[in-house]
Amino acid sequence: MGTSLKLRVRFCFNLLLLVIMLIAVAAFLSSCQKPRNPGLLNIGLPEEPRSLNLWLGTDANSRKILSQIYQPLYRRHPETLEIIPWLARENPVFDKKNLTYTVKLRDVKWSDGSDFTSEDVLFTKQMVFDFKIPRYYSKWNIIKKIEAPDAHTVVFHLKKPSAIFMSRVMTVPMVSKKEWGTIAKEALTKAKPLRSLQDYEIEKPLGTGPFVLSEYKKGSYIHMKKNPYFFGRGQKIGNHLLGPYVDSLLFRIYGTSDVAILALEKGDIDYYWGDIQPGYLKDLKELDSIDLYFNKKSALYFLGFNLRKPPFNDKLLRQAVAMVVNKEFILTRILQNFGTPMQSVIPSGNHFWFNPNVRKYEDGKTRDERIKSAYGLLKAAGYSWDTPPVSEDGKIVTPSDIRLPSGETMDDIVILTPPADYDPKRAFTGTMVQEWCRQIGLPAFSRPMAFNSLLDTVKGKHEFDAFILGYGKLNLDPDYLRSFFDSKNDKPRGWNMSGYHNLKFDKLARMQTTLIDEKKRKVVIWKMQEMILEDLPYLPLYNPYVIEAIFNERFDGWVSKVDGIGNIWSMCVVKPVDSLEE
Amino acid sequence: MRNQIYILGKLMEIVIIFFVIMTVLFFLFRLSPGDPVSKVVDPMLTPEDTQYLIEQMGLDKPIWEQYMVYLKNCSTGNLGVSFHYGEPVFKIIKERLGWTILLFTSSTVLAALVGVFLGKISAWNKGSRLDNILSISALVCYTLFIPWFALLLLWIFGFKIGIFPLGGILSPELWVTNSSWFARGLDILHHMILPLITLFIINLGSYLLLMRSSMLGVLREDYIITARAKGLSEKVIRNKHAAKNAALPVVTSVGLSLAFSINGGALTEQIFTWPGIGRELIFAVSNNDYPLAQACFLLIALVVLLANFIVDMLYAYLDPRITH
Repeated sequence: MGTSLKLRVRFCFNLLLLVIMLIAVAAFLSSCQKPRNPGLLNIGLPEEPRSLNLWLGTDANSRKILSQIYQPLYRRHPETLEIIPWLARENPVFDKKNLTYTVKLRDVKWSDGSDFTSEDVLFTKQMVFDFKIPRYYSKWNIIKKIEAPDAHTVVFHLKKPSAIFMSRVMTVPMVSKKEWGTIAKEALTKAKPLRSLQDYEIEKPLGTGPFVLSEYKKGSYIHMKKNPYFFGRGQKIGNHLLGPYVDSLLFRIYGTSDVAILALEKGDIDYYWGDIQPGYLKDLKELDSIDLYFNKKSALYFLGFNLRKPPFNDKLLRQAVAMVVNKEFILTRILQNFGTPMQSVIPSGNHFWFNPNVRKYEDGKTRDERIKSAYGLLKAAGYSWDTPPVSEDGKIVTPSDIRLPSGETMDDIVILTPPADYDPKRAFTGTMVQEWCRQIGLPAFSRPMAFNSLLDTVKGKHEFDAFILGYGKLNLDPDYLRSFFDSKNDKPRGWNMSGYHNLKFDKLARMQTTLIDEKKRKVVIWKMQEMILEDLPYLPLYNPYVIEAIFNERFDGWVSKVDGIGNIWSMCVVKPVDSLEE
Repeated sequence: MRNQIYILGKLMEIVIIFFVIMTVLFFLFRLSPGDPVSKVVDPMLTPEDTQYLIEQMGLDKPIWEQYMVYLKNCSTGNLGVSFHYGEPVFKIIKERLGWTILLFTSSTVLAALVGVFLGKISAWNKGSRLDNILSISALVCYTLFIPWFALLLLWIFGFKIGIFPLGGILSPELWVTNSSWFARGLDILHHMILPLITLFIINLGSYLLLMRSSMLGVLREDYIITARAKGLSEKVIRNKHAAKNAALPVVTSVGLSLAFSINGGALTEQIFTWPGIGRELIFAVSNNDYPLAQACFLLIALVVLLANFIVDMLYAYLDPRITH
């Protein structure tokens, strides 16, 4: 190597060292100047919220922000799950004869200091009707008219009795006429009114909630400050003395959960508002500064069958599959015990509506007992095998492919699942169901498919044998059973994906919407669950826990409820640890 | 005159290719399964709601009608409104593009400069220990798995040692106070270091290897022997005769890499929570956000076509035979 080259290399090396030193100084200076506000609650978000426009921001992350701003008249009690007054002062007065609900409002102010009045409730209803707001319009359609006798009273006139009025209408967030009046008027003049409304950029949402938006730096963070006009401050609602006791919320957006968990361990954030996968738990459990929360989810993960065509148009075959599916295995091996096996199509956490007495399929039995039961059922129904799964001396053997009662061989059965990178639990469950089906000679194949394609195939085209899907966040009102299984909804894009047709069920499903007496409605809902678990358009499989973690050195007092500690109650009662010690 | 015809021909090529790309993109997205609302698993969304949303997005119209609207909008520079964010696509791209260019362009330029320099040295000292070390290091850099390497850097420097932030482009607690612009600038620089190092190291390998291989080819040329016969110094031969000619393919590669740098890198941006175009592009495609995905691809296509055009012009300038 020549001298000049050596000099050049040395020069480069020195230059590199200098750059590294400069970087280190910059890093040091930069980290020195970051102040830590003791009243600032840092929350990690797994994704960027879609929009702060209430009518577009329907995704989970937008809801986390918007739920701190826009408030409903009533909301669910975090522990009892009853619907309790929020912006309303008391429970509504129901007039059975005139089918009216009279609601008295609290003295509430919007975050700009103006009064929240019955006019705003009327305006919210008008928006839902004028723009046919998806998700709301179909439920609000039972309202004949709304009257506002005075600034703090609203009377809802219904077309017919409705059991879902409280859970689906009264829990919708209210919007301010002042904020939306002009926007709505302008949007209604456009060719596509709803799209125009949704495309409107809302920079400072006006709400009645505990926090107001201070700053939104797209891709980085959302800063919210305490709303000085929050009606709940110092009030005891739902057995909680409301604050908020923190000065502000800082939502930080993370690209991957790996990085978000590191940020939590490091103390950069106080709470990660996202599901934590069981794989992270070992490390997190070892840290004193981390507290873990395990809560039930209002969710349903299930194996769905296509009842429109063979082979799963045969109820007995579906029941035989249910017998060999080992939910205990799914719970212990796939969910690693972080969840519960599902017995009914309503999660067990939804205590009031859940029916524990539905038909169970060989739960708690051994593998051999399951196979024998399924074999017995299929054999009695006329199915046959060259080599049956149970030999003449009662031993379990590898069977040949099953033959239909007509004597023909069964075509391959494809079980569609989301891919493992989207949801490993569902993908692995699909593989296990495939193996269990093969134990009784069903030629089953699990096929992971991109989520969009899966939904398109199952919900849009109905071209499938079986599938594994889930609803991660079900409403606590069980009216969704009607959406899932009413024969009216067996249409492209309809929620009756299995193609379940049962006139008795339809009758009950429609009847329960009119039963205002909850006890009577419960009897019907229980009956509906029994019918579903007997006919098995869906076989409920499991319900994973919501696993969450907090950094416990700065804040405490989180409120656990179904779906976790990320809720408005927590934001209203969480306190700095120092103030708790005092 | 011949040059003008050549330029005009190239420009026509660009226009035609761009039109083809526009058309292919449009139909490709429409052919993919599902639509912007099909992914919503919410039982409260009735089929009627879904249909209404589709109508509001204009997706209920016949595909040819949609295509005509798309062409008309594109020709007037109207890229539409994102289905997902409800914001003009132009605004979204404008917000994200700056961050992507800042990170990816600076890493490409830095890696190219250092890569050319080290590649030159490596080739010049072919077979020496220095050459072996540089070549092996370059191969290691070139084959690094980005997510693993990025997470490793984050874990060591962001978590264990704690001198760098765990992703993002800024420290929110600093920005929500009335901090100075200097402090904010320093903060962005601080956040940029880890992703920059990741991309620099990964890009460095390819430039070094490319330069080395090109230089080795050039060193076998007759004019290098001639230069030596003329008694020119080794330094002059290496830097003026060999390196300059060897850098030609590297210039092409850098030109195209710079063009592609506006595409960002989905993985790097995802791991470092860098709010750039790459992350947005992947998100738009997976959520069937046609206007946003189309616009991102069109932008990439346009920049790559222009970069190709510039490279063609440079080649024509450097080697006039091409215009013939």
